Amino acid sequence: MDATDISTITPLELISLEEPPAMKEDAIEFLLDLAVDAGRVDDRETALDALLERENEATTGVGFGIGIPHAKTDTVSEPTVAFARSTDGIDFDAMDDEPARLLFLILVPADGGEDHLQILSALSRSLMHEDVREDLLEAERKQTVQAVLDEVVA
Amino acid sequence: MERTVTVVPEDGLHARPASQFVETATEFDADVRLGRADADDLAPAASMLAVTGLGVSHGESVRLVAEGDDAEAALDALEAILSTPEATH
Repeated sequence: MDATDISTITPLELISLEEPPAMKEDAIEFLLDLAVDAGRVDDRETALDALLERENEATTGVGFGIGIPHAKTDTVSEPTVAFARSTDGIDFDAMDDEPARLLFLILVPADGGEDHLQILSALSRSLMHEDVREDLLEAERKQTVQAVLDEVVA
Repeated sequence: MERTVTVVPEDGLHARPASQFVETATEFDADVRLGRADADDLAPAASMLAVTGLGVSHGESVRLVAEGDDAEAALDALEAILSTPEATH
């Protein structure tokens, strides 16, 4: 993830400080709709199918209260990361049973090569730090969330 | 004890293989850590977030280090997962 690209990967309209739905699939659709409403997804159903198919393969609830639903799909033309957070947490079938409070949706073009794995691993590495998680949980403005994400990839 | 293993699954250490890897790592009485073959930093194999954070691709080599009573059995099981191409796609 290129540090100069945060405003294109995660523009402010892809960041929500609203409460997402409490169920996992509904929350994934909520995140997807941020990207759809921003005009970044050509076909919502195709993107949703890809996300749920990936979710069926193995949960993206990676523990530490984090869910990272993601998919490679030709229905987006550039790497896209949407963010939302849940006050009570969402059951993401994580191995550590921690409900997911920080939610990231990653959509990358099917021909995006290593972009997908790079974004996912950069995000995962940074989220291992408790202070990063706290900053994201406590941010009161979308700009703050975007700034944290910018540092994540710097 | 440790060994170096090439990651065979097409998607790398990611999705189902990563999930199987982490679940297996937690089943043994052993503390297992892993990293790229050429890296000094090792991540806990029992953490999905840490394993995802490594971003290991197909064809890369990883170093597995295990300590504990079941260290060898754990390494055998984890090597088997990393050496198995994904069957379902």
